[in-house]
Amino acid sequence: MQIVDKARLRLRSLFRRPNVDCELETELRFHLDQLIEEKISSGMPPEEARRAAQRTIGGTAQYQEECRDMRRVNFVEDLVQDVRYTIRSLAKGPGFTAVVIATLALGIGANIAIFTIVHGVLLRPLDYPKPDQLMYLTAEAPAAGGARSALSAPEYIEFRQMNRSFAEVGAYSTGGAAYTTGEVNLTARDRPLRVRSISVDAHLLKALGIRPEQGRFFTDEETARWTGTLPPPIAILSHELWRTAFGGRPLVGQKVEVEGRPHEIVGIMPPGTDVMDHHTQVWLPLWLHPNMARQREAHVLYVIARLKNGVTAKAAQTELSTFLENWGDRVGTRDHVPTKRAMRSVDHTLQLRSLQDAIVGNASRPIWVLQAAVGFVLLIVCANLANLVMARAGSRRREFVLRTALGASRGRLLRQSLTEGAVMSGAGGILGLWLASAGVRALIRAYPTSIPRTSELTIDLPVLLVALGLSTGTALLFGFVSLGRRRTSSMMTALKEGARAASGAWRHYARRGLVIAQVAFAVMLVIGAGLLVQTVYNLTRIDAGFDRSRLVTFSMTLPMANSEADTRARAYQRVLDRLRSVPGVLEAAAMSGLPPNRTPDAIATPIENYTSDDGKHVAIIDYYQFVMGDYFETMGIPIVAGRGFERTDNASQGKVVIVNETLAKRIWKGQNPIGHRLRPPGGSFGASDDVWHTVIGVAKDVRQRGVERPAGTELYVSLDQHGVSPPSMNVVMRTTLAPAALSRTIERVVREVDAAVPVVRLRDMDSVFAESIRRPKLLAQLLGAFAGLALLLAAIGTYGVLSYMVTERRREIGIQVALGATRSRVLTQIMKQGLQVTAIGVTIGLAGALAVNRLIASLLFGVQPTDTVTIAFVIATITAVAVVASWLPAWRASRLDPNVVLRDE
Amino acid sequence: MESRAQILPGTLDLLILKAVSLGPLHGYGVLLRIGQISNGALVIEQGALYPALFRLVRKGWLKATWGVSENNQRAKFYELTAAGRKRLREEIEDWDRLVDAIAVVLKTRPEQL
Repeated sequence: MQIVDKARLRLRSLFRRPNVDCELETELRFHLDQLIEEKISSGMPPEEARRAAQRTIGGTAQYQEECRDMRRVNFVEDLVQDVRYTIRSLAKGPGFTAVVIATLALGIGANIAIFTIVHGVLLRPLDYPKPDQLMYLTAEAPAAGGARSALSAPEYIEFRQMNRSFAEVGAYSTGGAAYTTGEVNLTARDRPLRVRSISVDAHLLKALGIRPEQGRFFTDEETARWTGTLPPPIAILSHELWRTAFGGRPLVGQKVEVEGRPHEIVGIMPPGTDVMDHHTQVWLPLWLHPNMARQREAHVLYVIARLKNGVTAKAAQTELSTFLENWGDRVGTRDHVPTKRAMRSVDHTLQLRSLQDAIVGNASRPIWVLQAAVGFVLLIVCANLANLVMARAGSRRREFVLRTALGASRGRLLRQSLTEGAVMSGAGGILGLWLASAGVRALIRAYPTSIPRTSELTIDLPVLLVALGLSTGTALLFGFVSLGRRRTSSMMTALKEGARAASGAWRHYARRGLVIAQVAFAVMLVIGAGLLVQTVYNLTRIDAGFDRSRLVTFSMTLPMANSEADTRARAYQRVLDRLRSVPGVLEAAAMSGLPPNRTPDAIATPIENYTSDDGKHVAIIDYYQFVMGDYFETMGIPIVAGRGFERTDNASQGKVVIVNETLAKRIWKGQNPIGHRLRPPGGSFGASDDVWHTVIGVAKDVRQRGVERPAGTELYVSLDQHGVSPPSMNVVMRTTLAPAALSRTIERVVREVDAAVPVVRLRDMDSVFAESIRRPKLLAQLLGAFAGLALLLAAIGTYGVLSYMVTERRREIGIQVALGATRSRVLTQIMKQGLQVTAIGVTIGLAGALAVNRLIASLLFGVQPTDTVTIAFVIATITAVAVVASWLPAWRASRLDPNVVLRDE
Repeated sequence: MESRAQILPGTLDLLILKAVSLGPLHGYGVLLRIGQISNGALVIEQGALYPALFRLVRKGWLKATWGVSENNQRAKFYELTAAGRKRLREEIEDWDRLVDAIAVVLKTRPEQL
């Protein structure tokens, strides 16, 4: 009750202040009247009585003020006052305020942006029900480099039957078994589109635990038990494709042309549904050709499995390794089965990992590196701000002392400085949040596929909380740094000395310490950035095995459903012929897989007079390259032995192939491969039967799967010899024209050949390259930006400390000059101070860099973490920056006029 | 003037509470009553009275209501709350203890030590 009354009174005081004051006045007036009346009744004349009474009671304003003080609403009132005062005082020093808020915004913004990625990509669980139950199963061949690959169809089926740990095991394919390259042609309202596709079986959709937004999913009859010669003509659209391409009109049950065949749309996926970050737009039923379903060498299926409730990932792992002990005995064959100890290059083992790890993959390390980098930037920002605030507190000492003398309590002053901190870090935080959201958006736009799970990146509650935490933290830092300064200040000395603060030794060291820390962190960041920039430089200079200048490429697909292998070959031939007649096009050729970033084929190929480690006459060749036209000339791939394809080969009976250096080395081990024979399966490129091909030449290795990875084995087959073609081909032209200038011509040429076929990914080879190194490039750019920021802040810090020192020591310097010190001596003396601090910072930073740089070793290419050139360059840069930052205050000191300085004192 | 006693610091609240405990009063009435009871020995300055009243209201010892004075003017009347009554008792006890203690000290003679 009492509390309520009090609260009411307080509220009334706050909101109806005139009213409360008015009541007090009424009360006092009554008092005055009573006094006058008393004096009149005791015989005083009324006028005199009034004057006497007023004399006794004194000024009423004073009581009013006293009562008001007592009311003490005051937390809120004080706060409002503090904020007002803060804004006024900050507006008075716009330079200081702008620097602080901009620094904070950059520091907080960078942290929020990167944390958004850390949170959205690494920490947030996947968007499936019970996502931690989802596991990803891959094959790995440790002896052959350990690259992760798909499982063969028999392995998948065997694993489904053997396991007891999983509630559901499903498979998908984005190529290989799917008869697509992870993309299909789709006609939406008469417009040919190229959309990203995935082929899934009914089990996979069950394993993921998702439900269709509309319609239904595939059934077992439509995937595993389907007996047709082509996959069933049904499809599920992603919510996004349904909205954008079909305007969201009712579509379930209707037909849409996919790969030239009408498909019935059976369902629509819920928004944002995807598998393995494939950016899937259309979901097709997975169906295996009977040959492929039997073939153990064909690794075509990716497997996702959901653990049974209560079964741990570890138990599943244990179960898998018991299977691997004797997989062959369990399934009754020794032929290319997974094994626990993969000793030979043909052996492979199976690996289980959580689906989230599988999706994030190797992106996690660069992201953590970036998070650490922005953490350093924030530390530098804080050090810088602490420095600025200390300097400002020094110059505001007189003001604070004066306020203390006038009765402001210490708590009140602390609140004032905390308010200042809060106002500035609040502004910095809001600005930072804005910067971060703009930055993340720009990043996703510029690098849509370099970061996994980008579609899920948003600034959500946890990110906002982190932003709030960062702002609060810096606000507290502010307040207490100013407070710490004042604790040591004695009122009298401060008043005597005026604005010029006494330089406590501890503060001097503290400020230098802060600069040293800034320099050290900056050194670490700049070294990291330097190493990554060099990595990118090395990557761009890699010889990928072909001449990429003036090469323009695009891709097109003639769907298998409505074309035959030979009509496709003729169609491609027509496209190439017409392109060759375009002015400015020097040469044109076509290939099935576009280097340096293509998917591996891993095709089992019989080879004459060859026995593999496991006693078979078959080798798995990583890449098949089916080519048309003068491929090697157009691409500029040198033939290192033998000869290239020639027109006369097409007419002759004997079929010929060309191998790459790695294949020649691996199979024929130093012997001359020319004249040896292999038998590539005709089904892989549209030929009706398998025939022996003779090796006629060895081509220089071409990087196929990432410029930084060593080349795998590759076999070149000339389609011109066979008169057939697989559905998808990449056309490449050596031309003096830019892709933009060619696009109309190319579209016309393709339309003339087949109006339903879209031209996709028309670009020059340089952009293909740029795309293959965009993740290291992104990392280098971001780290470079953060390092630049760190360098700038460290320079500001050095400059700030030195200029402050010069201001403090004006008198001393003035006397020195008066006593005959030369200007150059003063200059060097001050600069020495700055460079000393820098040198200590650089030393500490180098030690730190050496300690942590091995963490980024796996992100580097062609450069060691201890690269002396980089380190020397960084030291030179930092020293140059320090010289510039120190020179200005030193120069100012050397210009001091002793007369002026000494008179000032 | 000389016959008036100085009000000891800290006793103003006690006097006001006591005066109000004898019956609701307006501010001016508090002055009158204390003066009257003490036969003019204790005089409270107006400047101290109103802030003190205000403080006592805020502490919840007094309750203020608007009413009409003897001469039909609007005036604020103060009365004791339950908490105020309790407080008055405590203050009186404290005061008595203090007075006794001081009296003992003052009556002490050298031979008693």
